[in-house]
Amino acid sequence: MIEVRNLTKRYGGTTAVDDLSFTVHSGRVTGFLGPNGAGKSTTMRMVLGLDRPSAGEALVGGRRYRELTHPLRHVGALLDPSAVHLGRRALDHLRWIAASNGIDRRRAVELVEQVGLGGARDKRIRALSLGMRQRLGVAAALLGDPQVLMFDEPVNGLDPEGVRWIRDLLRGLADEGRTVFVSSHLMSEMALTADHVVIVARGRLVKETSIGALTEKGSLEDAYLDLTTGRGL
Amino acid sequence: MRNALAAEWLKLRTVRAPYGILATTGLMVVAGAALSVLIVQDYDTSPAAEQARFASADSSVVITPVVQFLAAALGALVATSDPRLTALTAVPDRTRLLLAKTVLVAAVTAVLGTVTLAVSTGTSWVVVGDRPPPIAPWESLGDALPWASAAVLSILVTGLAGLGLGLAVRSTVVAVVVVGVLLWGIPAITPMLPQPWDTDTSAVMVPYLVWQVSGVAEDAPLGPVAATAVLLAYAVVTIGAGAVTLLRRDA
Repeated sequence: MIEVRNLTKRYGGTTAVDDLSFTVHSGRVTGFLGPNGAGKSTTMRMVLGLDRPSAGEALVGGRRYRELTHPLRHVGALLDPSAVHLGRRALDHLRWIAASNGIDRRRAVELVEQVGLGGARDKRIRALSLGMRQRLGVAAALLGDPQVLMFDEPVNGLDPEGVRWIRDLLRGLADEGRTVFVSSHLMSEMALTADHVVIVARGRLVKETSIGALTEKGSLEDAYLDLTTGRGL
Repeated sequence: MRNALAAEWLKLRTVRAPYGILATTGLMVVAGAALSVLIVQDYDTSPAAEQARFASADSSVVITPVVQFLAAALGALVATSDPRLTALTAVPDRTRLLLAKTVLVAAVTAVLGTVTLAVSTGTSWVVVGDRPPPIAPWESLGDALPWASAAVLSILVTGLAGLGLGLAVRSTVVAVVVVGVLLWGIPAITPMLPQPWDTDTSAVMVPYLVWQVSGVAEDAPLGPVAATAVLLAYAVVTIGAGAVTLLRRDA
């Protein structure tokens, strides 16, 4: 479970996240929706302890991420597939991440096969396509077999096969009882993947509800645009 | 801490740049040995009056500044080669991450410096053979220890300075340039300052500190203990600056 409580992030005079509170429960895919600049990525970064909140807190399984001794055994995240050393081989990338959290190195070999990169495991990351880098990022997120997973725009740049692979993966992880939190701009994709949505705009919570309740009167896209343009349902 | 250190070691071993640094260091040792041979050959064919004016054929004196720079580049690489987002997601305890990087850079540069100085002083000793001073830098190999130890310490310190600056400025290139200015730029200028600033400022520059730490420099402004403290201050200040950035700023 992820708990975000009165989370606020200010950069000088700009408030990127404004007193945001919501809870992401286990056993379902929760979509995190909002326009560009709504504060989705900043919120995810604060959950992962990458950025310090100006106020409020974010807890994963009741604890702050920075306090976790082996965080990757609790939380797996893919925020930016380009946040890698391009000169390192794919398998070595997973091996150092595994080593940092005391995860058996064989797990890196298992996962590189599981995400379909077995044939590319010894290639340097700069030689991998965007889709392959996304898969490598997913493998890194799954290394510690975590209960909580966070993905920021996971289908960006993927071909249809990759999109379906991610969708099936997210659904499968939620069906296993894990907490899956996914940000996306793609309403059609969220409509197919998410069970629940948290919608933000200008750093503030606009709506937290189930997909079913949101789409009672129309498509997810219509409901989203109504909410984020301030007209309400 | 053990996991973070293992990860940093694995990261260092799985990219190409450190191997380039090692290869360049090896090349410098070979070039230094070749220089010693050329100096000795020149010495052997020179008249006795000229032989008395020869500098020593100790190649370690020539290559140490370059190895200091390479160690700094290695430190900067450890600081900056991986995006912070990934590094801090894997090890969110920033103090532990800083400690792991510091221990790794200290260990690797200490080994790099020790091996480099052992090989270069040993080679110089063999090449010079039983020739007398001034071309012979030492009367016995044990006499090389103070200078060699000071040089190893300076290589370790510049490695840590590269790490600290890399963490502080978050750029390998900027960190390496700053270290280059500290090692070569400013020390080239300080002797030109009016007295007594020339002596006072030069005394705290890394190239002159090595001699003062070793205690072999005559009439040195700083004694070995004070010089060692100043040399270590380079590491403490730069690691401190890196720690402030890493611990207090967002990733």
